[in-house]
Amino acid sequence: MSSELFNANPTVFSSTKSTSSRITEHSAQSLWLRDQNDNSDTESEGNEVEEIDQDEIFDLIRTIYDPEHPNTLEELRVVSAPQITVGRNHIKVEFTPTVPHCGMSTLIGLSIRVRLLRSLPTRYKVDIYVKPGSHQSELSVNKQLNDKERVAAALENPPLVDTVEKCLAKPSPVAFQLV
Amino acid sequence: MAAQGTHEVQPLADLESHSDRAWNLAWNPKHPLIASCSADKTVRLSSYASSSGNTLSFKSNQTIQTEHLKTVRAVAWSPSGKTLATASFDSNVGIWEQEQDEDEDDEDGDVDMAGQKGLGNGEWECIGTLEGHETECKSVAYSSTGTLLASCSRDKSVWIWEVQPDAEFECMGVLLEHSQDVKCVAWHPHEEILASGSYDDTIKLYVDDPSDDWYCFTTLKGHESTVWSIAWSPCGRYLASASDDKTVRIWAYAAAASDGGADSKNKVLQVKPPSVISSSQGDGRWVQVAVLDSHERSVYSVSWGKGNNGSGLGWLASAGGDGTIRVWDVQESEDSSIALNPKLIASYPEAHGVFDVNCVSWNPRAGMEDVFATAADDGSVKIWRINPSKEAGSD
Repeated sequence: MSSELFNANPTVFSSTKSTSSRITEHSAQSLWLRDQNDNSDTESEGNEVEEIDQDEIFDLIRTIYDPEHPNTLEELRVVSAPQITVGRNHIKVEFTPTVPHCGMSTLIGLSIRVRLLRSLPTRYKVDIYVKPGSHQSELSVNKQLNDKERVAAALENPPLVDTVEKCLAKPSPVAFQLV
Repeated sequence: MAAQGTHEVQPLADLESHSDRAWNLAWNPKHPLIASCSADKTVRLSSYASSSGNTLSFKSNQTIQTEHLKTVRAVAWSPSGKTLATASFDSNVGIWEQEQDEDEDDEDGDVDMAGQKGLGNGEWECIGTLEGHETECKSVAYSSTGTLLASCSRDKSVWIWEVQPDAEFECMGVLLEHSQDVKCVAWHPHEEILASGSYDDTIKLYVDDPSDDWYCFTTLKGHESTVWSIAWSPCGRYLASASDDKTVRIWAYAAAASDGGADSKNKVLQVKPPSVISSSQGDGRWVQVAVLDSHERSVYSVSWGKGNNGSGLGWLASAGGDGTIRVWDVQESEDSSIALNPKLIASYPEAHGVFDVNCVSWNPRAGMEDVFATAADDGSVKIWRINPSKEAGSD
């Protein structure tokens, strides 16, 4: 990692309370557990699949930390609910790097992918893109983030996984108020 | 049943699943054996036998706990069927052979395998490790004679190894032609021509210059994203490729017919067998002759089998992120056009439920031309057969 920050002084916005009716901001773990239950329900009951909405996806990714700031992706306006599209078994997440030359963009995208991979039922296919025009290497970032083989290989790379885990470390309520 | 077209895809068997994503599989060319590999770092071998009538029964044979430290991305058999190569994200290629089965007391009473040499219960052992790639090795392939092995990697290189006795391998060339990650390699079915597909969206073809080194003699451009898989037609005159751009494309080596004037724009092109000599002399060129665009997400795998209808160029199977297996009958055009118009003869949606299909592969053995296998993200490996639709009849 470069010692110089890609964006030394990002604009920080205040975060809002969880907008989802079903998930509170400290329940990502229970979402995982509940979806496990959903899966078994699905298997036993057939087609009763509970739909997941935009706000629920947003709640999963808003608390991810930016790799180079003590702020969440929501606080930096990297992610927002309107940038999430939910289809049948398909989720598209668009995010906005804080600066167009942000070298952390693939890491941010990877963190979003890992969070969703761990939280969502396996039936969802996830596509992740940077907001069109928001990054000077847009195509290259998008291509890498959506190459399942490169993502799989990245997740077998311990130093990279450590970095992703730091981004995914869930803020405690106290830390949440401090930032 | 999800029948479409003149044929239908019939599920034959579910093999024992891997505990993580199954990436690739390979049918042994000589023996009734299939190998699959996975992110769980194992290779699973299953044997099969024809039982009454038209059915095949599969039996788990052995699980190789490879010494690879990361995902086993690809497997390939040598033409003799005696050697298995594994390509791993740990950047190495493993070479495996079966220990001679000295103990004839087969406690399983493995009657299916009677008379099949080299298919007892002997352990598969790593007899060599090819080190050279700097990052994940993604594909490995033996040439048609088994004398050459090719491997490729995210380090952008393709390596060609000469297979020598006693599990020795000598590097014959390191080809640094692609500008990105190389995803797949495939040898021509009877010529020493190698093809590679890449994250740089191109396919490159290589031959050996007898007086010099291996070199890239042409680059096939047309795909708009990563080339995930390539497969030669059994006759060797065509090459199919599968891509992240959701298409399967077919390419051919075409040269002007003898009566075509050199200055004529209407020169008649004919598809010629690509030989090492014609390729290096450059008297023709590689052109795209078909685009199949019915997949809805990335196409991760393409396999070109002989088919069992006795005519045409065989059957092309494709599969990928949309979970649907598609099978195409490929026939040459009846007029002078070199363009192909493959006919979708069967498709099977949700072949592995909601999961991506990472590999599709036809059984290469005689009498098994209608059988293929698939491997998926949930670790499952399935066997299928193509049958003529009852309503439509064959052809």
